Amino acid sequence: MSLAEPAALPVAAVVSPRSHIVARFSARLKASLPAYLLLLPSLIFLALFTYGAMGRVLIDALYQRATPKAPLRFVGLDNIAAVLADPAFTGAVVNNLIYAVGTAVPSIGLALLFALALARTNAVTSALRAALFLPVLIPMVAASALFLFIFLPNVGLLDYYIGRLLPVVPNWLGDPDIALYAIMIITIWKNAGYYMLFFLAGLQAVPGDVMEAAHLDGAGPYQRLRYIILPELKPTFLFVIVIATLNAVTQVDHVFVMTKGGPSNATNLVLFYIYQQAVEHYDIGMASAATLLTLAALMALTALSFRTMANREGGA
Amino acid sequence: MLFSRRLMLGLAMASAFVFPAMAQGPTEIDLFFPVPVDGKLARDMGTLIKEFNEGHPDIKATAVYTGSYDDTLIKTRASIKAGKPPAAVIMSANFLLDMQIENELTNLDSLIAADGSTKDKFLGQFFPALQGNAVIDRSVYGVPFHNSTPLLYINADKAKEAGLDPSKPPQTWAELTDWAKKLTKREGDKVTQWGIAIPCAYDYCGWMMETLTMTNGGRYYNEEFGGEVYYDTPSMLGALTWWSDLVSKHKVHPPGATPGPAVSTSFISGNAAMMMLSTGSLTYVRENAKFNYKVAFIPRNVRNAVPIGGASLIIPAGVEADKQKAAWTLIKWMTSPEKSAWWSRATGYFAPNMAAYKTPDMVDFLNKNPDAKTAVEQLDVAKPWFATYKTVPVRKNLEDEVMLVLNGKKQAKEALVAAQKAADETLKPYNAETSLKLP
Repeated sequence: MSLAEPAALPVAAVVSPRSHIVARFSARLKASLPAYLLLLPSLIFLALFTYGAMGRVLIDALYQRATPKAPLRFVGLDNIAAVLADPAFTGAVVNNLIYAVGTAVPSIGLALLFALALARTNAVTSALRAALFLPVLIPMVAASALFLFIFLPNVGLLDYYIGRLLPVVPNWLGDPDIALYAIMIITIWKNAGYYMLFFLAGLQAVPGDVMEAAHLDGAGPYQRLRYIILPELKPTFLFVIVIATLNAVTQVDHVFVMTKGGPSNATNLVLFYIYQQAVEHYDIGMASAATLLTLAALMALTALSFRTMANREGGA
Repeated sequence: MLFSRRLMLGLAMASAFVFPAMAQGPTEIDLFFPVPVDGKLARDMGTLIKEFNEGHPDIKATAVYTGSYDDTLIKTRASIKAGKPPAAVIMSANFLLDMQIENELTNLDSLIAADGSTKDKFLGQFFPALQGNAVIDRSVYGVPFHNSTPLLYINADKAKEAGLDPSKPPQTWAELTDWAKKLTKREGDKVTQWGIAIPCAYDYCGWMMETLTMTNGGRYYNEEFGGEVYYDTPSMLGALTWWSDLVSKHKVHPPGATPGPAVSTSFISGNAAMMMLSTGSLTYVRENAKFNYKVAFIPRNVRNAVPIGGASLIIPAGVEADKQKAAWTLIKWMTSPEKSAWWSRATGYFAPNMAAYKTPDMVDFLNKNPDAKTAVEQLDVAKPWFATYKTVPVRKNLEDEVMLVLNGKKQAKEALVAAQKAADETLKPYNAETSLKLP
């Protein structure tokens, strides 16, 4: 709700409210019918592959078997309560929060740094941009398989170099205190180049005349960054933060390949927990309940960010 | 136009599903197969199935690659739920019990009887150690296809260097500890060569715990009943304590949990002088080791004993009768002595069919590669692979705790008590329906 909205609307609604509403509704429908028709193809596929699946998850989350051979019965919210009470789930949520913050902040920071350094286009920066973008082109599964060997204790590339400096080389993926951070390094390495693209695009939108004026007024590089570039990049930041957070929940390929959530659940993320419930425990009820909780969190996050973006657009 | 043609095609396909009897020609069956070791196996499987189809014009088998053992279970379950299961699957041998409990397997007894054979005669072809994972409630549910046991691999060059005789490998835990100490090289506090490495990642870790517990005289689980595991026992306590002693007391084993590929790479690169790993890695070591190596039985503390690993052929529940018959023909062909021997030579797994070792090609092969013989000899002391209700979560209950111990974050006793408690909780629904369901 914007403050600028006219306050005169209630007056018109006094005369015969019902017929008025029906007329308005049908008129509106008529006007937007072509739009709905145009949306129909994608709506059909969304219904088949997205909303249909979500509906199924909603139903599955409400059923459970008491013992292996017992029939499925309706249990209401019991599955959700059981998921919330499962220490493995809360552990996965905590891991996921650390993972989200620990990957989003450094990769966005690096991306901004790269973009600022490589904003001007010439042969050198183009080559460097391509080099920084390269990790994005490597599929996560392939990258994880590579890093599996980079992280190998004693014989991997990392230990080959770092091992000479440290007295005791850590078991990167085998120590529950370190494994999550090792996983995070891959995500940062992989995503920073991707986010750099958005910042490069954002930097193109910084008005040249404003920059020039600031330059003439004697604003130094730091002042230009602080008072012109960063404020202009705000929408880009918002967008990238949302993408980075969604990635932190939905990209778990490297967990599958490298640690399977271990050691001792140290790298267990929410999506992997769902996989474990569905596949290892073969407990569709619990898996569906955990999926619902995750979906709810993601939807809330998306709605919040869209609202923030819409407010900004409206304000501008 | 396009639509109508598609429609016709769709109708034709639909009718082929609905009226399979009307379709003339061979019975078409799918075989789901995982590749647990490396990509080369997929090609070997293609060769095998092509040969089968050429020899059986009335059956057309298609081999469908389904990823890892775990992925194969997921895909099989998904297709059973979708009502269109594959006719046969190569399934990790310790998933069979869980699938049987969930009513997802076809009982093979009637197919054996239809051949005029008996259960004992049929199972008699295979090594006795493999039968435990194929038989559930006295009915046959799986046919052993390729199997493994854990082995002790020794870098013979390094052993000689350390003044040890690789032709007399360590036979007891005491000797192994001694060897590992002599084979560990240090520069100050830093270890440059580890005496021994034992893998611990989900799946491998549980198998190694079963191995160590068995050589310590114990059992991992109740072989007769899927509702019990024996984690909080003296034999497992001894096993885990010794393993963690190798890490933190003797400092001859790399700390933390190390997955299988890391252990084999470490061994190949000379960073670990000994390792315990599956016989399934034998071909990999043979092809990659640039030094002389030696394989030996897993050393004992109380007795020599090892679990088996590997996979069995199964027929999922809900396969139509004619496809069942075709699948059974395929399964019998794949597990026959000649094919079993060929697959064993291609993969490094041992052949479950005992007669395979009497085929001339196999006799030749063993003479050339005596290390492959050790794996077969160890079968005399092998026992089934743990399989319980919800095998994977129950195994993970133990593995999570073992990983903490290997990282020095928990004491063995405390860890095993926690593992037992968690496993009992996981097994509770099954016990509620079986052992604790009282009149």
